[in-house]
Amino acid sequence: MQFIWAALSILGFSIRVNLKGWKILLLALGGGLSWGLYLIFLYYSNSLLFSIFCAVILVCSYSEIVARLIRVPVSVFVTCVIIPLVPGSSLYYAMQGFIAGNSALASEHTYKVLLISGTIAMAIAVVSSVTNIMFRLRNRF
Amino acid sequence: MTAINIKEATEISLEIGRMLLQSGATTNRVERMMRKVSEVFGYQHTEAYVTPTGIFISVSDSQTQLNTSIRRIENRRTDLGKITRVSHLVSELEQQSCREGQCRLSAADFMRKLAEIDNAKDYPAWFTVFCGGLTSGCFCLLFGGSWAEFAVAYAVGILVSLALRLLGLLQINNFLLNILGAALVVTFAKLIDLGVPNIALDNIIIGGIMLLVPGLSFVNAIRDTMSGDLVSGTARAVEAVFIAVAIAAGSGVMLKLWELWGY
Repeated sequence: MQFIWAALSILGFSIRVNLKGWKILLLALGGGLSWGLYLIFLYYSNSLLFSIFCAVILVCSYSEIVARLIRVPVSVFVTCVIIPLVPGSSLYYAMQGFIAGNSALASEHTYKVLLISGTIAMAIAVVSSVTNIMFRLRNRF
Repeated sequence: MTAINIKEATEISLEIGRMLLQSGATTNRVERMMRKVSEVFGYQHTEAYVTPTGIFISVSDSQTQLNTSIRRIENRRTDLGKITRVSHLVSELEQQSCREGQCRLSAADFMRKLAEIDNAKDYPAWFTVFCGGLTSGCFCLLFGGSWAEFAVAYAVGILVSLALRLLGLLQINNFLLNILGAALVVTFAKLIDLGVPNIALDNIIIGGIMLLVPGLSFVNAIRDTMSGDLVSGTARAVEAVFIAVAIAAGSGVMLKLWELWGY
């Protein structure tokens, strides 16, 4: 069920950024995958950052492959599929904590926002560097 | 079969760069595309330098001819469809035989094709607004909302998308736009909350906020930094942080105001 919600929300998002044709279905699939993988990893490892890291790595690999196959710029794909994992909810709770004057809650969630975005950044960086190296090797041999 | 002179080649590269950058492509891609295009036209020694707010390019074929141009970029927005179409056009151009500056397409033809892409029809307004609603509603479900909350988030998403479109007409800056957008999310959610009992506001507001979250700036910042474009990487990271702060500030102020009002 959660998979479907994530996929549908990415479908809406990709139409809002003006993409056309059947590739938005692949994008929706990617968005669903990212949330689904995140939940699966969270269930088995109980570690928030680890599961986000693994989900982003797998989903980025998926999008690097699919984007090359259907000849769409890779960054277009990656941008859309990681949207469900972006820490919008932690941002909101942090803000609520600040307003209520509860600085313990606020700093906890701010910390979480920073950690999650750092993790996503690292995972994207790893995947894009690895694919770069792979392409360079393939060109050489 | 017409040769393309150096002025026209520069103009075409700048136009391609402008379109890519305005729709939110990464710096590396914009530079590569511009270089590729002027190489296809026969100007091998081209250097392009791109930042999020401006493009510098100098096109040259040998020691005799050199043409440098600068263009300032304003009004950036997200239009991934346009990036895809421009990239297709450039790779098409690369594949067709275009030896020593002799091209099947003349410069005017090429500019006409670009203008066609630039003015290509978007989805109709009601459809994008409808999809804004879908996005925020589904995010609300994703974060554990119920069906009633889905309906409310859907309505909030539609109202906010509409409001953002109207605000976009005023041409205010990005920071203010996000503050107002987040404030409107909270206002609409609270207003609907007054009429509908038994719903939790948290998930609805999060669903609405997800519409505004700076995903593209964030991803672009990382990719730019990784490819070595430190100037644009830093600029885009700062942009993402500012937008996040704007969202928090906008929704925070509005929540506090409602609280003072007594709801």
